[in-house]
Amino acid sequence: MSVYNDYFGPFGGRYVPEILQPPLKELELAFQEALGDPEFIGEFEEFCRDFIGRPTPLLPAKNASREIGGAQIYIKLEGLANTGAHKINNAAGQALLAKRMGKKRIIAETGAGQHGVATAAACARLNLPCVIYMGEEDIRRQHPNVYWMEMYGAEVRSVTSGSRTLKDAVNEAFRDWTANSADTHYLLGSALGPSPYPDMVREFQSVIGREIKDQADFQIDAMVACVGGGSNAIGFLAPFLDQKSIKMYGVEAGGRGKGPGNNAVRMADTGRPGIIQGYKSLFLHDSDGQVLDTHSISAGLDYPGIGPQLAALGKEGRIEFTEASDREALEALKFFARTEGVIFAMESAHAGAAAIRIAKTMSPDQNLIINMSGRGDKDIFISAAALDGENWRDFLEKESRRKYVD
Amino acid sequence: MSTEIVSHFIAGYPDMESSLETARGLAEGGASYLEMQIPFSDPSADGPVIENACRLSLERGCTVDKSLELMEKIHGELNIPVFLMSYGNILFARGMKSMVQQAKDAGASGLIIPDLVYGRDEGLYALGKELDVPVLPVITPTIPAERLDEIIGLEPEWIYTALRSGITGSLTTLDESNLGLLDRLKPLKTKVMAGFGIQKAEQVRVLAPHCDAVVVGSAIVRAVTEAYNQGDRARNAARLIIEDLLK
Ligand SMILES: Cc1ncc(COP(=O)(O)O)c(C=O)c1O
Repeated sequence: MSVYNDYFGPFGGRYVPEILQPPLKELELAFQEALGDPEFIGEFEEFCRDFIGRPTPLLPAKNASREIGGAQIYIKLEGLANTGAHKINNAAGQALLAKRMGKKRIIAETGAGQHGVATAAACARLNLPCVIYMGEEDIRRQHPNVYWMEMYGAEVRSVTSGSRTLKDAVNEAFRDWTANSADTHYLLGSALGPSPYPDMVREFQSVIGREIKDQADFQIDAMVACVGGGSNAIGFLAPFLDQKSIKMYGVEAGGRGKGPGNNAVRMADTGRPGIIQGYKSLFLHDSDGQVLDTHSISAGLDYPGIGPQLAALGKEGRIEFTEASDREALEALKFFARTEGVIFAMESAHAGAAAIRIAKTMSPDQNLIINMSGRGDKDIFISAAALDGENWRDFLEKESRRKYVD
Repeated sequence: MSTEIVSHFIAGYPDMESSLETARGLAEGGASYLEMQIPFSDPSADGPVIENACRLSLERGCTVDKSLELMEKIHGELNIPVFLMSYGNILFARGMKSMVQQAKDAGASGLIIPDLVYGRDEGLYALGKELDVPVLPVITPTIPAERLDEIIGLEPEWIYTALRSGITGSLTTLDESNLGLLDRLKPLKTKVMAGFGIQKAEQVRVLAPHCDAVVVGSAIVRAVTEAYNQGDRARNAARLIIEDLLK
């Protein structure tokens, strides 16, 4: 596969106003040139090793495998990456690229705040001022991440338009970039948006899959990742796409169940082709093209579009898409904590839930890898409320009465 | 030569009936053209004023079909050309060809779709030719020279020039950086409408000699919103603001 594709089958492209065409062209050229420069690759690898803590482990999940009684399960612990999720791989790569391009300022969108935290951390290290756009609703839901972003020195700007969530933060970041592209890099957080973002994000995230190539001293039969926009999935899977014996699974957010507004499933018959936020792909939108609301217990999967390359791979049948509900994700969270001592991010727990189902259909001499894209510390306000409501509320009430400063 | 104004309004905002009233008021005030925006849930090239209006319009039940009906009504009733502005996904989701045909049937004098640029347009420019509906390229002063030549080479009936590197809604200063582009386009056969951030009669006066028509958008939406929220008639507010801008 080439580094720069622009289109993936029918999907992808660069659907932005004339004013954003030159900065995207500039980025396309700079990114291709950087990937061909050993010095840049060296900088990226150094950042990965010294700051992110790469390589992340590939854990043989022996207890879980035994209890499930199917395939041998391995877990790629991306959640051990510094800042808690795979998002930092892309943030680091793009921040280094921005610096190389002579950009003086970084902007980014964030939903749950994971990409915002990763971007703010990378910018702190590289001494780049950074502005994070975040929906007002997400700021309310994910306050701890706002706190961390600000501690890293980022300015968090509340977005009050539209549904006040991730897609609106993306719109707002594009607006900022439209006015400031000369000195500003827009550090987009998933494998979507106008080209070259889907290509660029895949390349930076592919460090996940490349490490697995070194780590897996066994035959891989199946790989499972959760899919929000698609950055952890494509980075995990891309290096293996031509190994046709490997079955690949993408797991979307089944949310509360069927019906518009209850989930973020785009790859079943619910998603329809559209051109939104600069790229052509499958989206949840109505027959007029108006974007529909989505729901997931995990903010990172709660988005109406899917990266164009994954949409194409899904349509071609190379990747099989499935879904996990809010409840199944919570069950998987508990299961892997109990059996393996590993706490999945709520997003990754969707991959865990589907993997449990898939592993059961496989035999003990087969191997399955789950990408645990993030760890679950960030979700404590959500998981504890869902799993331990009474006690958690008690705790919060006591906490809120405590005197912090006198 | 008298000053020509392209006045922008949003279908279904503040509500369906009031958007028709707004169009009537704009025409009465002396606007030469109307630009009707079909609301889209994610209008990323628009500023907060228009975005908010689009959201409210959709919440109050505006649809593409209702927008087209409104356009047809305006076209039949008011003797004034109406351009249709929207985003690519509205056309793409409904089918490019059928949407261009429907726009034509509703009386659209041209299509303004900022996120479908020539060459990445899903066949829009070819359809415009085939069905005889002008498609207006939207450009900004930062456009590279070769790209500008390419667009001029299309010999469009109109070019829409957004006067600054940003989004709709805030005040634009007029100086060499944007008027230069207009003067470059002036000798061409292609007509030029220019706008973004035009809110005052004084700006209209400065801009008018450099283009064929001055576009006013957010200022109208703001005036209509204010009137509507105070229980006044959108029609009067729309008429008054155009009269003011033409002073
Ligand atoms: C831990 C984690 N996993 C997955 C995602 C989903 O994004 P993507 O599909 O781009 O990997 C997010 C997004 O915030 C995340 O934080």
